[in-house]
Amino acid sequence: MKPRFLMTALTTVGAIVLLSVMALPVAAQAPKPTTAATKAWTAPKTSWGDPDLQGIYTSDDYIGLGLNRAAQYGNRLYFTDDEVAAREKNIDATAQRDAEEFAAPGGNVGTGPPNHWGERARRSPRQTSLLTEPENGQTPALTEEGRRRQALYTRQGAGTANPEDSWEGYTYYIRCITRGIAGSVLPVIYGNGTEIVQSPGYVVLLQEMVHEARVIPLDGSPHVGSNIKTYMGDSRGHWEGNTLVIETKNILGNKTGIGGNGGGTPFSENARFTERLTRIDKETIQYTMRVEDPTIYTAPFTFTFPIRQEPGYQNFEYACHEGNNGMMNQLSGARAAEKAAAEAAKQK
Amino acid sequence: MRDRYRWFAAAVIAVAITFSASIIFVSAQGAQSKAPAPTAAPATRGQATTPAAPARGQTAAPARGQTGTTPARVARIGGKPNFTGLWQALTGANWDIQDHSSEPGPFYQLGAAFAVPAGQGIVDGNEIPYKPEALEQRRLNRLNRWTADPEIKCYMPGIPRANYMPFPFQIVQGDSTIAIAYEFATSNRVVYLTNPRKAQVPAWMGTSNGHWEGDTLVVEVTGNWPESWFDRSGNFHSDALKVTERYTLRNPDVIDYEATIDDPKTFTRPWKMSFPIYRRLEKNAKLLEFKCVEYTEELIYGHLRKPVN
Repeated sequence: MKPRFLMTALTTVGAIVLLSVMALPVAAQAPKPTTAATKAWTAPKTSWGDPDLQGIYTSDDYIGLGLNRAAQYGNRLYFTDDEVAAREKNIDATAQRDAEEFAAPGGNVGTGPPNHWGERARRSPRQTSLLTEPENGQTPALTEEGRRRQALYTRQGAGTANPEDSWEGYTYYIRCITRGIAGSVLPVIYGNGTEIVQSPGYVVLLQEMVHEARVIPLDGSPHVGSNIKTYMGDSRGHWEGNTLVIETKNILGNKTGIGGNGGGTPFSENARFTERLTRIDKETIQYTMRVEDPTIYTAPFTFTFPIRQEPGYQNFEYACHEGNNGMMNQLSGARAAEKAAAEAAKQK
Repeated sequence: MRDRYRWFAAAVIAVAITFSASIIFVSAQGAQSKAPAPTAAPATRGQATTPAAPARGQTAAPARGQTGTTPARVARIGGKPNFTGLWQALTGANWDIQDHSSEPGPFYQLGAAFAVPAGQGIVDGNEIPYKPEALEQRRLNRLNRWTADPEIKCYMPGIPRANYMPFPFQIVQGDSTIAIAYEFATSNRVVYLTNPRKAQVPAWMGTSNGHWEGDTLVVEVTGNWPESWFDRSGNFHSDALKVTERYTLRNPDVIDYEATIDDPKTFTRPWKMSFPIYRRLEKNAKLLEFKCVEYTEELIYGHLRKPVN
């Protein structure tokens, strides 16, 4: 239900936010341990005795935080209290502006949708990057094969390429097929909702964007045969204490990666993913994904962030393909531009 | 295209200016109402520095809620029958929900493989009470069925059709919500048992609220998008459609399914369909992925592909 064409602004916004934050004076003290964590809280159980993760969660608070850490933070994983306070003031100022019905007199008014059509962080991340492994918070280098495939298979998002020859030049997200397993969880500017439903022997993760439903058996059953490859892979889960651990393989290679909405250098068919979901308080699940793809990356890496239940937040049906006028318009626009150029050339 | 890029540039610059300004000119308003910093950091730190090694040897131990896996077949959940499992109907209703004879398929080259088999319908009494003008629309739909059926374009099938397409679907039943994941087009829905949702916008898969009548699960589906069809024969409905589904376990492996179709814009009275839905009993049968969008792109966008010179 939100404008899909805003998504290219995401990376720019992220970069600007980082640059702006970098311009602020940085206090050097380490983050103080939070006292809230010491409050007594018992992880709830379902009626059949499994840890209860059910609810509708969003990763909105980590919107705009880079996968990779800005250089100034080095190996420091957490913002200082002062840095967090500055970021939260910024969030408040944005909320204030969003609430205003009219543009300020003399203000710059565009013809596009207002940027508050996207989703907003409600509080600042503590982390300086989504990546926690390796320690420097940087995506590991590509292997030689990874670089070769990057050149061959990286597809374009909206508005970033020359007029396209066909739909096949676009990402699987723009084509409304999928964002892949990592792209479906990493926060973007809207549609960050994940609804979790559990039953004895199963967990389902329902992701709003491009309407994914990952059915994860917990019954110890074996993976499907290795000749069955899928965009979202074949997942099996088990419990380690209160943590749901999901292991996924059998993914289609050369399709989706860790860029915005599953773009960027795609994973290979050898990629394996280990996700960990732990409910850490009434509203929050700490979500972690470890990626091992030795064909593409020189080392494994891990990203983590909390997902939270927020009052009134819910998933809507994301009928992406059914309403993909953007694809139709971009392709027909490109053909019209070519025709106009050909006619102009004839006139010369 | 050029206009589009200009628009992008404008949007990106506007967003950038807004964000920069908001960081540089820090507002003091509202800071006191901020929720406490998330408590995730310590847990995150713990996980990040000492990742627990996956205990592979322990995964077979069914110590529920501690470590391991959970048996999938539990007869009842919260005192109610457990519908969790992989299910599929075996009717020919996706061709036509009414009784129909066999006929050739749309492409003679595919011969017998893609011809239409005869089928016994699922409509009670085999009669669909269309209003006269709706009957005319149904005639036109049938005439254009090999191009107009939304299934051809991999659109979400809607309810009830998703339940009798020739694909399996997975039910995952919890205490207060039930997820239903359909293999076709990764369509899915959640049935809310305790906190009913009002349909806020129409949706291809509708908005589903459920309740129990004894051991029967009753699901009311409202907020239905008007463009889905009931079958490949052009049976259709409007945005006034309300579907009331009833799921009753005949035995652990068979659901007796019934749907009441109520759409006063299209039909003169509510009508019913019913059929059994069978548990998929193959060893290790699992819901697979049928993301069919890419099989439709040549059909939908092919005329816009750059011509080869």
